[in-house]
Amino acid sequence: MSEPSQNFAEQGAAFQKLWLESTSKLMQAAFTFSPNSTPPELVREIRDHILQALGESWNEFLRSPQFRENMRQWMENAVAFRAMSNDFLARARHEMQAPARDDIDAVLLNLRHLETRILDRLETLSTQVEALRQQPPAETASAPAGQGRARTRAVPRGAKNRNHNPPKAS
Amino acid sequence: MNVPDHFTNPWLRWQEAALEESVNLAGRLRVLPGLVQRAQAVRKGVSASEVVYEEDRLKLLHYLSPTPPRYRTPLVFVYALVNRPYILDLKTGRSVVAKFVEHGFDTYLVDWGVPAAADRFLTLDDYINGYLGNVMDYLCERTSAEQLNVLGYCMGGTMSAIFAALHPKCVKNLILLAAPIEFGTRDGLLNLWSDSESFNVDKFVDAFGDCPAEFLQAAFLCMRPIQNFIQKPIHFFEHMHEEKFLDDFFATETWLQDNIPVPGETYRQFVKYLYQQNLLVKGRLPIGKHIVKLDHITCPVLNLIAGEDDLVPCAQSVPFTDCVGSKDRQTIVLKGTGHIGLAIGGRAQQELWPQACAWLAKRDK
Repeated sequence: MSEPSQNFAEQGAAFQKLWLESTSKLMQAAFTFSPNSTPPELVREIRDHILQALGESWNEFLRSPQFRENMRQWMENAVAFRAMSNDFLARARHEMQAPARDDIDAVLLNLRHLETRILDRLETLSTQVEALRQQPPAETASAPAGQGRARTRAVPRGAKNRNHNPPKAS
Repeated sequence: MNVPDHFTNPWLRWQEAALEESVNLAGRLRVLPGLVQRAQAVRKGVSASEVVYEEDRLKLLHYLSPTPPRYRTPLVFVYALVNRPYILDLKTGRSVVAKFVEHGFDTYLVDWGVPAAADRFLTLDDYINGYLGNVMDYLCERTSAEQLNVLGYCMGGTMSAIFAALHPKCVKNLILLAAPIEFGTRDGLLNLWSDSESFNVDKFVDAFGDCPAEFLQAAFLCMRPIQNFIQKPIHFFEHMHEEKFLDDFFATETWLQDNIPVPGETYRQFVKYLYQQNLLVKGRLPIGKHIVKLDHITCPVLNLIAGEDDLVPCAQSVPFTDCVGSKDRQTIVLKGTGHIGLAIGGRAQQELWPQACAWLAKRDK
């Protein structure tokens, strides 16, 4: 048997098992009720048992390798479809001489690289200034590195966008 | 004891039950026309607050108290990136934030905001070392405190733990609430589904950019399909004539449906490094230029866990206290409570939060 058809058969068997087990649990649940209950209570009891049995069966099914395989295939198809539509839209926008998502992403990435380089440089400078401050004037040996806080962003990100209210006077 | 006749006579009990059902049905029909309005009128966050700091999409809320704070160290709530943070201040009587404010803590909450497509390259480093770091700097400057108390919920708990490990001197006390730390367990469905064999996160993020809110919502709902798609509507129909139930239901559902996208790179890192490679407890998680070592956390730690959490099972949170270097560490497991119930549930409000407030107060003297 070929691999795809074997997978399909396994998934079918897992699904069949789920329903067979569910049905047997449902039958058991349907007959476990207290004889003294009034009809609405009786219906509720039976319903709760049935739903509990169904919930347990589904939980088992959702954990099964067959379901996960099915989910993987479904996800792959969704991703492939999305990639195809992205590609189609990018071509259409390029034909209209408009920027596509990829172009905007490329600009954003360039900006991020630029920002990272500037922040890294600022952090190095900040560490050096801190080391110089701590040094006694006569001493010439360099200060140990990494004495500052382990924070990568010494300068707040998006400094222009920072906006805060001053602390209230107590 | 003599039991009245009408309780033992089945025929009368049936009639009584039928009458009760009819009355309830009439009640349901009465509230039906106003349901939509009622759902729309839900307030998102109930305690009085002001925005004290903003950066890009982030907002830092300060909760106002009529009395000055009793404790010197401010408390910062750090919420997850997948939902809105007002679950911590959902409604009067079910607000975690209000508990701490009433107890006398100077309380703040980090609202990460809703990321847009332009934020897809934001990483965990940007959130933890960047935004959260800046919030901490700002709060230290504002309150003249040298250290802060941090409370992280869910993914926010993981981020808080990472922050505390990278900047141990900034955190005075750390409280984690249903925070996933040990990702090697296969108890939870999310852990199984996000396994590298089942889910290719690279392809997903490359194709979609940000992780769509609908995708996350669908995943959360599918974890308990019978409960979410069958039991919940039935339960709603049966109780919709009860005022208190309606209030609670709409408040919770409004929050549950209020998912937000997660920036693509952050999502990629979280799934790949944590769910798939479990690097945090292995001491190999890279955040920016640093490697996170949980044993660098030396402050007092309180680990709050829900006994019946299906999103973050106990096995994912319990090992945290063994990973830290703190001597003062405590774990509280609230049995019979789920992920959301741990924050807003009646038992949590009555038993857990007073305990957590007392724990923090004791360590803030």
